[in-house]
Amino acid sequence: MTNLKYISIALSCLALILNSCDKDNSESPGKTKGNFVLAVTPVAAEGVADYLLNAPSLESGTISTEGNGLEQDGTYRYYVTHKNKFFSMLYGQGNPGAVTAYNLMNGSLNKLTNFQTETVQAFTPVNNDILMIKMARDLKTEMSRWYRVDADQMLIVGQGEINTKTVTGNGEWAQFSWIRQVGDKVFAPFFCIKDSDWGTDYPNEAWIAVYSYPDMTLEKVIKDDRTSFIGRYFVDGLAIDETGDVYAFSPSLAFTNKQLSSTKPSAVTRIKKGTTEFDDYYFNVETAAEGHSITNWQYIGNGKALGFFIAKADKSQWGAGTRLAVVDLYSQKVTWITGLPALGDITSISDNNYTPKDGKNAYVGITVSNGTSSVYHINVETATATQGLKVEGGVITAISRLD
Amino acid sequence: MVCLLLSGVYTSAQQITQTFTARILSNGQPVPSATIRLKNQVMHSKQDGSFIFMAVPGSTIHVEISAIGAKTLKQKVDLTNSNSSPVIFHLEKDEKQLEEVNVIGRTESQEVNRQAYNVTSIDAKSLYNTTLDLSHALDRVSGVRVRESGGVGSNFNFSLNGFSGNRVRFFLDGVPIDDLGSSFQINNIPINFAERVEVYKGVVPIWLGSDALGGAVNIVTGVKAQNYLDVSYSYGSFNTHRSVINAGLTSSSGLTFQLSAFQNYSDNNYTITVDASDIKTGAYSPNTKLKRFHDQYHNETVVAKVGVMNKAYADQLLVGLTVGGNYKEIQTGARMVSVFGARHRRGNLLMPSINYKKNNVFTKGLDLAVTGNYNFGKERNIDTVFARFDWFGDSILYSGPGGESSRSLYEYNNNNGLASATANYHLSAGQELTLNNVFNTFNRKGEDKLKPNDINNKIPRKRNKNVLGIGYRYELDEKISVSIFGKHFMQHATSGVVTSDTEPNNGYRTIEKTISKFGYGFATSYFINPNLQLKASYEKSARLPESNELFGDVENLEGNFDLKPESSDNVNIGAQYTFSINKDHLLSLSGNMIYRYATDYIYWTLNNNQSRYVLSNLDGVSNIGGDAELRYSFKDLFTAGANFTYQNVRNEQKYELNYTGISPVYHDRIPNLPYAFGNADASFFIKDLGGKGNTLSLGYNLLYVHQFYLYWPSRGGSDGKYHVPEQLAHDANITYGIKNGRYNFALECKNLTDANLYDNFSLQKPSRGFFFKVRYFINKS
Repeated sequence: MTNLKYISIALSCLALILNSCDKDNSESPGKTKGNFVLAVTPVAAEGVADYLLNAPSLESGTISTEGNGLEQDGTYRYYVTHKNKFFSMLYGQGNPGAVTAYNLMNGSLNKLTNFQTETVQAFTPVNNDILMIKMARDLKTEMSRWYRVDADQMLIVGQGEINTKTVTGNGEWAQFSWIRQVGDKVFAPFFCIKDSDWGTDYPNEAWIAVYSYPDMTLEKVIKDDRTSFIGRYFVDGLAIDETGDVYAFSPSLAFTNKQLSSTKPSAVTRIKKGTTEFDDYYFNVETAAEGHSITNWQYIGNGKALGFFIAKADKSQWGAGTRLAVVDLYSQKVTWITGLPALGDITSISDNNYTPKDGKNAYVGITVSNGTSSVYHINVETATATQGLKVEGGVITAISRLD
Repeated sequence: MVCLLLSGVYTSAQQITQTFTARILSNGQPVPSATIRLKNQVMHSKQDGSFIFMAVPGSTIHVEISAIGAKTLKQKVDLTNSNSSPVIFHLEKDEKQLEEVNVIGRTESQEVNRQAYNVTSIDAKSLYNTTLDLSHALDRVSGVRVRESGGVGSNFNFSLNGFSGNRVRFFLDGVPIDDLGSSFQINNIPINFAERVEVYKGVVPIWLGSDALGGAVNIVTGVKAQNYLDVSYSYGSFNTHRSVINAGLTSSSGLTFQLSAFQNYSDNNYTITVDASDIKTGAYSPNTKLKRFHDQYHNETVVAKVGVMNKAYADQLLVGLTVGGNYKEIQTGARMVSVFGARHRRGNLLMPSINYKKNNVFTKGLDLAVTGNYNFGKERNIDTVFARFDWFGDSILYSGPGGESSRSLYEYNNNNGLASATANYHLSAGQELTLNNVFNTFNRKGEDKLKPNDINNKIPRKRNKNVLGIGYRYELDEKISVSIFGKHFMQHATSGVVTSDTEPNNGYRTIEKTISKFGYGFATSYFINPNLQLKASYEKSARLPESNELFGDVENLEGNFDLKPESSDNVNIGAQYTFSINKDHLLSLSGNMIYRYATDYIYWTLNNNQSRYVLSNLDGVSNIGGDAELRYSFKDLFTAGANFTYQNVRNEQKYELNYTGISPVYHDRIPNLPYAFGNADASFFIKDLGGKGNTLSLGYNLLYVHQFYLYWPSRGGSDGKYHVPEQLAHDANITYGIKNGRYNFALECKNLTDANLYDNFSLQKPSRGFFFKVRYFINKS
């Protein structure tokens, strides 16, 4: 009897399975639609992938990763938009990386290509291209590689090598914190490394390598000794205002033998448009922000930036700040933003965010310890935040917009 | 130590008893698996009907012999003073009792199935004319799924009832074969190496001493006191060559020599369908058909044993040496999108071993088995070409030092040794006490000539493991069998954390982890009638982190020293029923239900950047599942069977680290795990074709695996969700045996429909292949 029962169970399972195998259409991935694209990572110990969720608005409503969203292969990914396309980049460490590109079709993401590249440590839109840099990672390797991906053709249209050891002039090797198009050149702020702990003997200097484009010839290294290095690993330390002036922040985060070693405070300096020298602008952020250091920012317009701050006692080599403030670059003021969840309750905050760059509005994704995530709308003029779109089933890591 | 023990045994045995050999026949045919009762000794006859027993020469003994399909024989035997010729017993057929129901096709050894454990035995001999290796033979057992990353020699992951990886332990003739390195793996050992393969699902018997949690596989090579030679060679698609030599020689004085040698070679240059992109431009060519170009594999292994059999001081004393080597090119990373064109690894194996077995040692009814081995083998990982390859085989060579993944010329030796001892004491008829201890040591030492001062290669990687078990078994009238057992698991592991690489000699801090755990359980079976058996078992077990899981495998697996041991409650219920219709139609039905609840479930996943695998713990995982098998045969002309497995493995982790809300994937099905799969097979036999004793057989095998998701099923829209698609693999073969199997010719086709088959996301398995095999077998008793 028992056997017959098993067999009938087995056969009915088989029948069920055979019935459910026929559908395979690849139309309209995800369910929710809209111009905003949120990258969401479910909170789970294992087997986690990122989901790209389309949303019509950041101000209100609720979206979820449950049965919704376009699955990405894994979570170690970076996202960038350029020429109205959305690029999802896999960070594969020593292994090759991959780039998947999408455009918006009827409010959903539509896959355009998926190609293998190197795993890169910095990428940025330059003219029609996305410029990517794979950094050399030890003292023995002098050459780093760059790749130009044409965002229209979706092809690697140029590549070459740059020496990232001799560029420092001090025997250590250079790690670009990020790269940025400034005028017709590419600025690459870097930090110096001497060992596998990413320590340096030069904690009180700032450098920006200047390259021509598209041939990536080194033209100059801009130096300054008022701050420590600019930006952080994978963080863009540069902001360009409407007049074309370049502002650079230093988190004062140099390490020597595993200890914080810079004696310079966290500060902002400036390079005037068309020049390749720092001018005398100096904004001591630490003084303006009650002893906090800035760890990241996003330029919003009108000389204002959304800044991420960390208390000096909490600083670590890789830790990012979760206290948000409006940074006024012109009047050199830091205003804490109110209306956000309590600092101790915030478990994650998105660092790749959307702003219309009107000097008035910014958006940021925040997850609190009970696991709920929301987009907060920041009114820059009043420095207040209001809870907007709620996101269920994951942490918001990026907010973008496609048209 | 061993010598002392032996001499002690020798003298005590000489004074009292002597070994006698005997044979059971029925109508002149040997009767295997008969039960022999002699005072307080209970024995089972071997395949050739023989058994050995201890008695005082010149005495009279009372023997009771029972076997399925035969009348029970009670006989008085006057023993002579010399034990030169075997005692022959003749059994009469019992017409009332059902004849031995032996469904052909996948003969299950009676002896194995009589156990209370949930066990399936593969009769390897019936597969000797195929080109299967052990892992592919195991893949046809219900509840078993072997997942491979590619062709011959590729990485594999064995799962049994949803419990995969090292939860299932492998044994060779009862001796654990952990950490034997890349030269001795179930997917490079041909099926001809084994006599049978026993698959224990769930609860594992005490004499297989280990921290198995999901089950165990015991490869039985069977040391035979016979003279035989078995030679085979096969050639096929993808330039695949395989050969096997098995030979045994035993002199009348009991001196024995056993040899197994095998070899596999394949270019694995099978066709795949990939989304390829040009390395220089990134130009994207979806669904391109290409051949693998850097996937050659070969291994060569020789197992030689020399010793004595059936001596007064030892029933078996063998000294052995296993020598082997392998070479493997690495074509891809954890994803097909990562292409390599120069990375490879090599390994070798040099393992001396000793086996000692003696029944009735010290005292009547006490059986002892001791084994030991030590592996001097080395593994080498070579990644020295600083280049990038694409699927078209094009590459860009970069200047300076570098590698394709991580520049390495790492060479290491795992220095693993094993000592095990099992003592069995027959308390009285049907009662048995077993004590088993297995000690395992591991000490990886490695160096990288490219990075002689790399502290990462100098930190200690040591592990000692000990498993002690005690069990009691009670059997009543062949109807009821009950076993209870307890185990103690102990592991001590040492590793290090790099503190600074500026100090050349000791730039690390030593870290140590000790694990001590208890396990216990029972197994019981009941024959309602000789054809219907019910089984139930329960075990609380632990599975300790393995060396490779703690320290990595230097290829695609990253180490995790913080891995905690997994504990599990396993419940198994099973039934097996065999019956015949008109004597010609034989049917066998079996089914098993399992329940598992594992805490600190060790989980095999991709690391965050998908470049390597890593293991970590989940709070809990539950599984309610079952498998069913149906077999049919008509006379000895046709056989067919099917099995199906379903398992419902669910995430029981309610809260995630740093969060107070219920996890979005609580109770979700564990991703990247096959959960519904089955096999079907059919064979025709045409007897005496082209001469008496010649047989032509036609066989077919189907493998089905239902599609499964790579990531959590509940997350994301169903369209565009990453999954491993449904697999339907058809294999067919024709075998022609001449002179009762002395000469055999076989033609096989694997993946008949040339389907794109995947076990792991994006990692495509071989396209259609044809293989031809010749085999010669001669046997003289």
